[in-house]
Amino acid sequence: MSSQTSAPPVHPPTLSGILRALLEADFTVQLRNGRALTLTFLLPLVLLYGLSAGKRRAQLGGPIVDVALALTLGIASIAILGYTASVARDRELGVFQRLRVTPAPTWTIMLSRLAVQIVSMLVMSVVVLVAAAVVENVTLDPAAYLLTLLAVIFSSAVFLGVGQALVGLIKSPDAVNAVGRLSYLPLFALGLFAHSTIFGTTFETIARWSPGGAVVTLLAGAMQPAAWSADTWWALLASVFYAVVFAGIGIRWFQWSTR
Amino acid sequence: MSSTAETATHHLALQVEDLHVSYGPKRAVDGVSLEINEGEIFGLLGPNGAGKTSTLSAIEGLLRPDSGSIRIGDVDAAANPTAAKARMGVQLQSTSFQSNLTIREIVRLYAGLYGVPLSRAEIEDLLADIHLGEEASKRFSQLSGGQQKRVSLLIATIHNPPLVLLDEPTAGLDPQARRQLWHRIERLRDTGRSILLTTHSMEEAQAVCHRVAIIDHGKLLTVDTPAGLIEKHKDDPRVRKVAHGQVTLDDVFIGLTGSELRD
Repeated sequence: MSSQTSAPPVHPPTLSGILRALLEADFTVQLRNGRALTLTFLLPLVLLYGLSAGKRRAQLGGPIVDVALALTLGIASIAILGYTASVARDRELGVFQRLRVTPAPTWTIMLSRLAVQIVSMLVMSVVVLVAAAVVENVTLDPAAYLLTLLAVIFSSAVFLGVGQALVGLIKSPDAVNAVGRLSYLPLFALGLFAHSTIFGTTFETIARWSPGGAVVTLLAGAMQPAAWSADTWWALLASVFYAVVFAGIGIRWFQWSTR
Repeated sequence: MSSTAETATHHLALQVEDLHVSYGPKRAVDGVSLEINEGEIFGLLGPNGAGKTSTLSAIEGLLRPDSGSIRIGDVDAAANPTAAKARMGVQLQSTSFQSNLTIREIVRLYAGLYGVPLSRAEIEDLLADIHLGEEASKRFSQLSGGQQKRVSLLIATIHNPPLVLLDEPTAGLDPQARRQLWHRIERLRDTGRSILLTTHSMEEAQAVCHRVAIIDHGKLLTVDTPAGLIEKHKDDPRVRKVAHGQVTLDDVFIGLTGSELRD
């Protein structure tokens, strides 16, 4: 047997170093994911253009609501299709188990993932707001832009909560993908009619209090701070309620491994 | 604790006492106790479902044990899991990394997680050392099984941990790759690290392990050096029944754990 030397002393990593490493890796993964980038930017822009060109746009609520709808679609797409798919796939591959045997606390692993999604949503929102200024002639004062971005962060909690609930309740990546697609449309589509009586007032009320509807109302309110009303406050409360309930379900039943 | 006990604990890289792990009503680990000395390679042998991976998972912090204590050096793993994990390097049985990252980026990520910031040149050197310098820009899934194992071992030891846990490190490798990995494991031992590995291979246990424990149904059946195990159990009727001529470690293993197939 060869002569042995002592193992060197161990220096535990710092929390900031752990977060930096995780964020760098997660941002790299996000930037390389073509599908995620498409969902992030293309879908809301297509919807915005479609609504601005549509003949019945006034019945959906007008230009501000159009922009709010585009933002909601972008947020829902990133959270329910992008986030859930990446978490379900990495869990199936064992990526989380590998990360969990490092000194990184488990909350940092999830925080990094969520931070990347929220930054993606904010970038998407800036792009949509710029497009709205060009396509819809919707320009806001600086305070309204800031409030809108704050509302985007709030809204992200609703849909990331829904995404977390999906990966908490369903283990298989294929099933997560399928249920995500199925639930994504009604969650968003109901929001389309949150400010429209095309299908009657009962449907409008249901749509307004759906997760998508609450987010559309909140975003539309944030874009017009002067017109912030009791409805906007109720939409904010509803968003908090949905975020807490869905995130609670997702955290309670989430498993790091499928095995 | 007496000063003698404190001194003894200080020289142990790992101390597991009366570990119990259950999955619902099924008891996977049933009172396992083991100690690994500094600079020792310790092998955990057992059939499928014997409790090897569950024991390792509890030590790694992936499973919360029902009871028992785990100390990594002088750190209580339950009281201070982050410090315990910083003192361990882990190679899981089936490992994967983020599919969109290159090998270079994976090494950089894990170096950061262990608080070992590495420059690009240092990463290239490390990859060249495991003969993967040319593969630095590839994805993990594009590597062969042997190359993947080498990357996993590199990452498990990137922070120079005193204790390295390897779950079936050579499973699925061809003989050349297996021997190459044994040499790497021995090199780790030569630099003062302690290694706990699980394996199905008696050849591997005899080739690299100082001591070996046989585990079945969640209980440690016996612990000794490979030669010591043969000596201790060569006259056991269960071992004699399965031996063909001179008793081997394989005979001891089959004799103690039975011949029936496991899942």
